[in-house]
Amino acid sequence: MSEQVAFQHIEKTSLIGKRIKKPDAPAKAMGKTRYINDMVLPQMLYGKILHAGRPHAEIISIDTSEAENLAGVHLVITAKDTPELRLGFVKDNAPLKDRVRCERDEVAAVAAESEAIAAAAIKLIKVDYKDLPGVFTVEDSQKKDAPVIQEHFPDNKSLKFEFKHGDLAEAEAKSDIILDDVFNVHLVTHCCMGTSCAIADFDHNGKLTIYSQTQYPYNYKMDLAPALGIDAGDIRVIQPPTGGSFGAKLDVYPFEPVAAILAQKTGRPVKILFDREEEFINSPTRQPASMHLRSGCTSDGILTFRAADVVMDNGAYTSWGATVPVIMMRTTSGHYRVPVVDFKGQAYYTNNSYAGSFRGYGNVQMTYATAQHMDMFAERLAKDHDLDPIEFRLKNAQKSGEVTPQKSYLRECALAECLTTAAEASDYVAKLNKYAAEREQKGRYKHGIGLASSIHNAGGAKIHKSDGCGTILKMDDYARVTVITGASEIGQGIDAVIGQIVAEELGVPPEHVTLVNNDSDLGPWDVGVHASRTTFIAGNGARRAAIKAKKQILAAASKQANVTAEELDLRGGYVVQDKDGAVVTRLDKMLRQMHFQPEPDVVMVSDYYEPNSEPEGRDHISDHSAAYSHAVHIAEVVVDTLTGEVKVEKVTMAQDVGRVINRMGLEAQMEGGLAFGLGFALSEEMIFEEGRLKNPNFRDYKVPTAPEMPDLDIHFIESDCEEGPYGAKGIAELPTIVIAPAIANAVYNATGIRFFNPPMTPEKVARAIWEKKNS
Amino acid sequence: MSEIEKYIAPEEVAEAVEALGTGGVTIVAGGTDLTPQINEGRCHYEPTLMNIQRIEELNRISLTDGEIRIGCLATVSEIWYNDIIIEHADILCQTANCFASDQIRNAATIGGNICNASPAGDMIIPLLVLGASVELASWKEGAMEIRREPLDKFFKGPGKTIRNENELLVAVIFDKPSADFIGQFRKSGPRPALEISTVTVGIGGDLKDGKLENVRVAFGAVGPTPLRGKATEVALEGQILTEDIISNAAAAAQKDASPIDDIRATTWYRNHLIAVFTEELLNNVC
Ligand SMILES: Cc1cc2nc3c(=O)[nH]c(=O)nc-3n(C[C@H](O)[C@H](O)[C@H](O)COP(=O)(O)OP(=O)(O)OC[C@H]3O[C@@H](n4cnc5c(N)ncnc54)[C@H](O)[C@@H]3O)c2cc1C
Repeated sequence: MSEQVAFQHIEKTSLIGKRIKKPDAPAKAMGKTRYINDMVLPQMLYGKILHAGRPHAEIISIDTSEAENLAGVHLVITAKDTPELRLGFVKDNAPLKDRVRCERDEVAAVAAESEAIAAAAIKLIKVDYKDLPGVFTVEDSQKKDAPVIQEHFPDNKSLKFEFKHGDLAEAEAKSDIILDDVFNVHLVTHCCMGTSCAIADFDHNGKLTIYSQTQYPYNYKMDLAPALGIDAGDIRVIQPPTGGSFGAKLDVYPFEPVAAILAQKTGRPVKILFDREEEFINSPTRQPASMHLRSGCTSDGILTFRAADVVMDNGAYTSWGATVPVIMMRTTSGHYRVPVVDFKGQAYYTNNSYAGSFRGYGNVQMTYATAQHMDMFAERLAKDHDLDPIEFRLKNAQKSGEVTPQKSYLRECALAECLTTAAEASDYVAKLNKYAAEREQKGRYKHGIGLASSIHNAGGAKIHKSDGCGTILKMDDYARVTVITGASEIGQGIDAVIGQIVAEELGVPPEHVTLVNNDSDLGPWDVGVHASRTTFIAGNGARRAAIKAKKQILAAASKQANVTAEELDLRGGYVVQDKDGAVVTRLDKMLRQMHFQPEPDVVMVSDYYEPNSEPEGRDHISDHSAAYSHAVHIAEVVVDTLTGEVKVEKVTMAQDVGRVINRMGLEAQMEGGLAFGLGFALSEEMIFEEGRLKNPNFRDYKVPTAPEMPDLDIHFIESDCEEGPYGAKGIAELPTIVIAPAIANAVYNATGIRFFNPPMTPEKVARAIWEKKNS
Repeated sequence: MSEIEKYIAPEEVAEAVEALGTGGVTIVAGGTDLTPQINEGRCHYEPTLMNIQRIEELNRISLTDGEIRIGCLATVSEIWYNDIIIEHADILCQTANCFASDQIRNAATIGGNICNASPAGDMIIPLLVLGASVELASWKEGAMEIRREPLDKFFKGPGKTIRNENELLVAVIFDKPSADFIGQFRKSGPRPALEISTVTVGIGGDLKDGKLENVRVAFGAVGPTPLRGKATEVALEGQILTEDIISNAAAAAQKDASPIDDIRATTWYRNHLIAVFTEELLNNVC
């Protein structure tokens, strides 16, 4: 074989931009994957939590004796057993509560031989509550004599954010048009197909192994430790396959320390797995917000200022939800060129559920407002000043090299190209005018077209001191590669991308790259899967590690072949001459020779990639991401003006992806991200009455189904990001962010009615149309 | 928590009916209502769980002597694809098309849909329009006794019917519609699939020389039971479907209905939709 190929020439080819299969897809499609939810450890007990089921109460007494006496019950715990243990962003939360602040509060927990026994035991716990008046709106929370929800926050004020830039009064004076509206974005939740689960297991040295769905395993240890009173170094996190996260697993939530405490006290592994109703009630939500937005612009169509006053319902505890203004203000100041900015954000404690991170993190909310204001300006300017709606946006679109008021440095900016590409592909302006003209004519079904865009960080977000990722790469005697990365796989497809990148550099098939990334005892540090960062950060890390390995191999080969390393390359499993691809030797043979030679060597390299971004900082003036990206969505809808049903028929998407890495993965992210935004825009809503969730099931919480997916016309704009791997940017959140205001703008185009308060449910739309007609 | 002590799966109708006569039996057909209701704690198992799915004769669909008979175990999918139904009672196919999803349609039985007696039970609406009756079988003195009751007298309230605990609903029957029969069904819901109805409307009658005769109208999810729209029927009987007649019928439909507010829809929206759908269906016909 080696004799035959000695005369072969191997051409240079590239995997970048190709469609790479996700390695775990067949097993998942065939139901063979064993998710954490399926896992059973020897001797394992089942944990179950008693939730308060009432929004605000004192706990007078808890009687656990009957539950303890039930056969098969090993342990019942309450807040008395877990004093001093805290968790949460401002440590205002505890694994088990001695007072009830919201419906989901964990009051007691049981460990038992079976799920059925644990469930029966929970029912035997007797709690005597004294209900207290509750606070269910931010308005009530601010009242003078409002009940205090968290002792340490007597005025019910939680986190606060501010950013100011330029002279607002002057900007207002210069404005010919000022828009002033309040947008209220509602409560939605992630609906991960795999419900929340944790399995905790202590060894005889007191070290905890926690099987978890977390998407940030390394900082997770730091957040979990104070909730257990143990050292973060004594926690090992294993991440079995998980059925979705989307931000829901970016914090520690009480069920996780509860599982660990039960395991610690019983000496047995303990598993807690939510059923669907528990999942709905006890998982984080997207942060709801009331956004009072004022925007100004001149009659030439130049934006003059944006002032946003954002009020948020913090719920009873503080997770990541209340921190979303960090991104909201980047949208306010950076979604188009905004010379003057005044942003305020304040969260208030209430007795409602609380929010966490959720795909789009603050930007889904803020873009719903800013992109509608852009559309309202565009309409006014077209009508009164004959300005083309795309021209208006192009005038305000930043160009490469511009810096926003918060110092986001837009090195490669393709907003203009996104706008023109999507507008041309969908024939936007012609349809916009046609449908607006048809609006007042007779007819039940009205067509509409709507454009929205936004900006998002696309090179990580440095909210911690480091936004880096570690990689260890080794090659074996058979030219198989093992990559140990800090990057977690939560379904997003980093497994395919890292295999592809490493294969690209080392000239091996992607299937020959094995990823190890589910054990914190093995993997090097990483921030976590969030902020659309993994392909950018971990991809760069994997590429740099692969380049180091390649150098080492070519150095060894150059000695053997008596040519310089620069004249050699790795292709198709061979060491070849770079200029003509002439085969020098087989790669596996080369690797074996490397450690069988007199000065033995093994290919094993490491890398820590730190993006060239700046920490967010307290004043929020920093280039906090290594790249920024834009997307434009144009939605085409049909509105049934009688039933109020909005059918999204087609969406044209143009997104600056920097460079396409795995085309298949990228398309899937566009589709999946859009589906999230579609549900948010049209049908999904958690309905709360006095702090209690009324629709904790898929019957009444309406995620979109397959027939609701519109046709997609996807355009990838390749701006070639200098810092990104092969030029790629992070991409995963923009598809969720942009679609809802695009639909809202399209519904406006069809009906003449603006929907400031999503979701645009049939009833809401029908009622608004009916009221307009009958007013 | 109630425990199932015994599981039985008879293969003959008589066997099932006899077992039912001894009391303490929960009937399961497709289980698509029963299972979630048990899980939610809305009902509990009796000591004996009787699976009726093995009784072959109960899923037959036949046409004899001008009478169409659908066995209680016929699934929504089987009804949708049945030649007799396609030819004579297309309104049932229209309804099946809006019913749940493929997986549920393959399991959900017509008997289960009727006996579950939800005001939002979809298949009940076209059956009311077709003037159907149900057959209830019970065990009396060593033999099976069958009574026939009109479907529009069957429902008493949400989940409540005139069926006694010892009775098995074995079939639904209706006269083969005339050649002039037209039937139309409309269901609301924001989603095209997997939607619990917020309002359903069914209208049927013989359309002869432009006039609608032998009109039957039925509404779902706008009252405690699926109901016949008597005022709407009066407004339409013997009429040519002019614009005025249609809007009279829509106004009558709102009078027939007594919807409530719940998390799926407000009274306003249900009242609004019932008029919209009534007009829409009548416009489809004329
Ligand atoms: C995801 C989902 C979607 C759904 N979508 C719809 C929808 O779009 N439209 C709709 O109308 N319904 C819908 N349903 C409800 C359900 O599928 C239907 O009502 C179905 O027809 C019930 O039939 P079954 O055979 O599954 O009944 P089962 O659950 O087996 O039985 C229902 C009840 O009837 C009793 N019973 C059953 N058969 C008989 C009999 N022959 N004699 C006496 N008693 C009997 C049982 O004891 C039980 O109390 C949906 C359900 C689910 C889970």
